[in-house]
Amino acid sequence: MATAVPPPTRTEIISLFRSLLRSAREFSDYNIREYTKRRTIDSFRDNKTLSDPSSIAAAFTDGKSQLQVAKRQAVVYSLYAPKVKSIMDIKP
Amino acid sequence: MAARNALLKYLRVNATPVLQSSSVRNPRVVGGGVIQLFRRHFSEEVRGSFLDKSEVTDRVVTCVKNFQKVDPSKVTPTAHFQNDLGLDSLDTVEVVMALEEEFGFEIPDTEADKISSINHAVDFIASHPQAK
Repeated sequence: MATAVPPPTRTEIISLFRSLLRSAREFSDYNIREYTKRRTIDSFRDNKTLSDPSSIAAAFTDGKSQLQVAKRQAVVYSLYAPKVKSIMDIKP
Repeated sequence: MAARNALLKYLRVNATPVLQSSSVRNPRVVGGGVIQLFRRHFSEEVRGSFLDKSEVTDRVVTCVKNFQKVDPSKVTPTAHFQNDLGLDSLDTVEVVMALEEEFGFEIPDTEADKISSINHAVDFIASHPQAK
């Protein structure tokens, strides 16, 4: 299955990375916002050395489904936003 | 119908003297209203304004210096992200995202892809009216 999919281009990967970071900013909760950002950056770094086209394509597909999850969860969590702001959000 | 007209007339007569007397007693109220009318023509947020280039340069340099992978001593207003600061393409995306947060506006993907040096970022932000 995965071998049939052509490997994503560099631009597509950068664009997915940016979209994930953008969706991370949507979370109202500080902890989830930072987690999503950290998780995105870490997994892109982990997969930086991938050279096999099929594993790159698999990682890309996985990233795209994670983006859908992040977008959906940002909406769900916005409905149940914490009433108290995290102390990290309070600007000195 | 007649009762309704009578009622409306009664209300109108009642309201007019109150309005007149208040504007006579306090003419500033009317003046303030006029000034507000002019001021409300364009909201600051919609119109936007261009930031001073030296201020943008300072803020961009500070922002890039705060990036954990960057050696702060290497950051100059002309530094290139990949050649001078040793950042890769993922780091560059992170830096541009941090700049978006600093200046409070969204950089479109096509523009963000082109930003590869501090100079370029400063030029783009200084030419963007929504940057604050």
